[in-house]
Amino acid sequence: MNATLTRFTRTSLVVAALVMLPIALAPVAAQQTAAKPAAAPVKPAAAKPAQAAPAFDRTKIPGAGKTPVLRVPTWTKTTLSNGAELIVSEKHDLPLVSFSMSFMGGSAQFEPAGKRGLASITASMMSEGTKTRDGEALSNALQLLGTGIGVSIGAESGGVGFGCTKTKFAQALDLMADILVNSTFPADALERIRAQRLVGLTQAKAQPGSIAARVFPRVLYGTSHPYGAMTTEESLKAITREDVVALQKAYYQPGRAVIIVTGDVNAATVKATIEKALAGWPAGGTRPPFSYPAVPVRPTTTIYLVDKPGAAQSTFAIGLPGPPRSTADYYALQVMNTMLGGFFQSRLNANIREEKGLSYGVNSSFSYGRGPGAFRAGGDIISAKSDVALIEFMKELKGIGGARPVTDEELKTAKDALVQRLPATFASVGSISGAITTLWTQGLPDTYYQQYGGAVAAVTTADVVRVAKQYIDLDHLAIVIVGDRATIEGPLKATGIAPIVNLDIDGNVVTVK
Amino acid sequence: MLTTSRRIAGIGLLALACLAAAQRPPARDAGAASDTIKIPFESYTLANGLTVILSVDHTTPTVAVNVWYHVGSKNEVPGRTGFAHLFEHVMFTGSGHVPYGLQDKLTEGVGGSNNGTTSNDRTTYYETVPSNYLESALWIESDRIGFLLDTLDIAKLNAQRDIVKNERRQSVDNQPYGRVTEILAQATYPAGHPYSWDVIGSMEDLSAASEADVKDFFRIYYAPNNAFLAIVGDFDPAQAKAWVSKYFTDIRRGKPVTRPVVAPVTLTAEKRLVYEDKVQVARLYAQWPTVGETHDDVYALDVMGAILSGRRTARITKALVYDEQAAASVMAGQSSNEDVGEFQLVITPRPGHTLTELEGAADGVIAKLKQDGPTAEEIQRALAGEEFSFLVGLESNLGKAMQLCDGAGFHGNAGFFKTAYQKSQAVTPADVKRVANKYLTSGRVVLSVVPTGKLEQASKPAESKKVTGDSLPSPEVQR
Repeated sequence: MNATLTRFTRTSLVVAALVMLPIALAPVAAQQTAAKPAAAPVKPAAAKPAQAAPAFDRTKIPGAGKTPVLRVPTWTKTTLSNGAELIVSEKHDLPLVSFSMSFMGGSAQFEPAGKRGLASITASMMSEGTKTRDGEALSNALQLLGTGIGVSIGAESGGVGFGCTKTKFAQALDLMADILVNSTFPADALERIRAQRLVGLTQAKAQPGSIAARVFPRVLYGTSHPYGAMTTEESLKAITREDVVALQKAYYQPGRAVIIVTGDVNAATVKATIEKALAGWPAGGTRPPFSYPAVPVRPTTTIYLVDKPGAAQSTFAIGLPGPPRSTADYYALQVMNTMLGGFFQSRLNANIREEKGLSYGVNSSFSYGRGPGAFRAGGDIISAKSDVALIEFMKELKGIGGARPVTDEELKTAKDALVQRLPATFASVGSISGAITTLWTQGLPDTYYQQYGGAVAAVTTADVVRVAKQYIDLDHLAIVIVGDRATIEGPLKATGIAPIVNLDIDGNVVTVK
Repeated sequence: MLTTSRRIAGIGLLALACLAAAQRPPARDAGAASDTIKIPFESYTLANGLTVILSVDHTTPTVAVNVWYHVGSKNEVPGRTGFAHLFEHVMFTGSGHVPYGLQDKLTEGVGGSNNGTTSNDRTTYYETVPSNYLESALWIESDRIGFLLDTLDIAKLNAQRDIVKNERRQSVDNQPYGRVTEILAQATYPAGHPYSWDVIGSMEDLSAASEADVKDFFRIYYAPNNAFLAIVGDFDPAQAKAWVSKYFTDIRRGKPVTRPVVAPVTLTAEKRLVYEDKVQVARLYAQWPTVGETHDDVYALDVMGAILSGRRTARITKALVYDEQAAASVMAGQSSNEDVGEFQLVITPRPGHTLTELEGAADGVIAKLKQDGPTAEEIQRALAGEEFSFLVGLESNLGKAMQLCDGAGFHGNAGFFKTAYQKSQAVTPADVKRVANKYLTSGRVVLSVVPTGKLEQASKPAESKKVTGDSLPSPEVQR
């Protein structure tokens, strides 16, 4: 129990921070052009003295002090004898070390068709035992070091890593190497993990957010594009131990790896420690290309309704495929999205949550990868107001494209928020490691963070409007709504915004009575 | 809210996941530790009763400001539940001299962040800002405590009430297993007990709160003598003290706060319940009333949680998930509020295995622990991660600020983290055996959550009493 509730959830910002730089940020309430209903917060009002007469003027906003100098962490780069890159960034304020090894490429490049879920299962299987330690022995050894080794494979990159105190680093590193090189992949472990994933998948089908997270990419990309491929009961059941062994062998190779060590270590000596630990890991492997099939041509804007009978809220996911991270429009898009749905006072949240009270929170984001990651706006809306919310979503998506002019103050706040957030990005060994990993996986220059402020500062109002129009194509949106069809379909239809197609929870078109 | 795509999360998550992975508890690594467990701080109290805690760390040019009020859902009264949390939302709607929206602009809008949280026992409001914005953060917080009521009206209250109802829909009513917390709270504590309702409250009570209720609540609890202010990070202490003095000294002291007397709870017999929900998979919950934050048994109870579930060699996890392969997942652990706590067990079965069978298997593991106690190595494994997870907590200014305020608010000592660490490290096998026998008795609540229409999937269905929405706070009442 021990429930703790918050003013709003931070999920999206956390994810955004992992992706790249924060999406965060934006406008000011005073600029809302929409009429405020009676329930809206009061306007900025002249203050009145309340308690004991203050000795100073409380209405005066304290000015900011001198802007702190941006201190971007430094790092050294070298190459191990097996071909893996090594990046070390020292940080000595606490006796902590973060170790992460990242691999270029992921399930989109290494997972065979029809075996969706294999990459993730392979990652889990790595910790199930080695030639000299079974799964229990590995687990106990790690527990005694006060750490755990995480292994994962995402769509375009994967990794192995751990965090620990300084004194445990060498021992944890040896266990990591054992997992990397000597895993045995016991067959009974595969059956156990498969069964657990199947239960998880079944449970996900009762959770509206999970349903939307599965259906939205499928609608955008189709099942033959890696971005739209979906883990299913069938794909999980099709995976064999041989598949796992083959993927592990093909994937975990130093030629596509970067090792990033951050924290209380010495850059000059840590290489020797790592070379020794990884002596049994032979050279090999190259970085895969990131070529993707064409995204299916989007039909005209359509509402895709997934029935969730009796749902108290409708989960919205509105969007379309967007640009890859390498787009030159990245900075303009970040500034634009910040205003639109990147933080609390963004246009979407200020309107739909704060003014209209239709939701606990709505937002928007771009998913930047090597391929055409999605733009998505959405949130959970009270069922009875699904139609009203849809009208407001569409209004804001249109507004940011020029229908509601971007003010100078709005632009400045968005830029300040993005740029001044940078120092916090380097506050922990894990976040520094994540920041460097992003540069590496996305092919960005080492000087990226030094250049970032200037690139954001250069974004103009015209840029914001241009990228909004270009990437949020109002005529070709996918509007996925998971909710109580019996009560929301009629009102949604009555908005006249788009035709409705009914889908089942796996994203298949269904005919409804 | 929304998440972006899994494709990107994959790798970025790794570093954090690895750190988080080891955050489970607790380390008895004789030599190491202790000297790294420190947060230098100073603390003083203003004439109006406000406790101020300062901790300097220049590593990152940000400052966290945390205002901790000793009020939570347990200070509510039946019929007005959900109040402290509703109030948390109201505190973000502007105050006498700070118009609505300006706080966000001076925090998120300059590269920082803000939020608030409410628990049964306390409410906190906090922001992390670039260090050159400390003064404006203090100005905002002082205005909230001193002048909130100047601009509070029924329209603001109603707007936040709607949002909180949406929060309840999102986090409770529209979530599989979402109502478990309130069902367990009602079943564990007697009617009217301050921990018998959930923090978010009921739709009816949220509708019933009047403007006068809110204003009275504010006057009683949001006063400097019931508050703790922590400033942690990159700042000059002399300057910070001057600003604290400027902005907070003229805030009037409130009346002395009367705290509810919270009786410890024991159940004389097992309560067996079954609840039908929109779920695909049945799940078993068991909950034993234990003790809270201020009782020394919590350290052994925490260790017991790590011995029973979590890593693959934890006893129930090993037995049910690995050896018998009958459960998809298992969670067991102590959850401590200020005055009371619960030890909870949650089991999700694999297809072909019943809740009755799983409950029996888990009870068998617990019985063995009660009889033999854990081994010394189990204790060592359970405690080994504590130093690391504590150090990870020190990386964040906000994490430190929370730590200092919790110590000051719950234990009267901002430096309590050190005592807690030492007490935890001192837990022995005999301690765990003792608390297992003392708390894991037949006096518990066993709740089966089953798919609608599948009451037979409950654990021991014939002995389980059906709980319905009718016996609970109504999920939806229109104003």
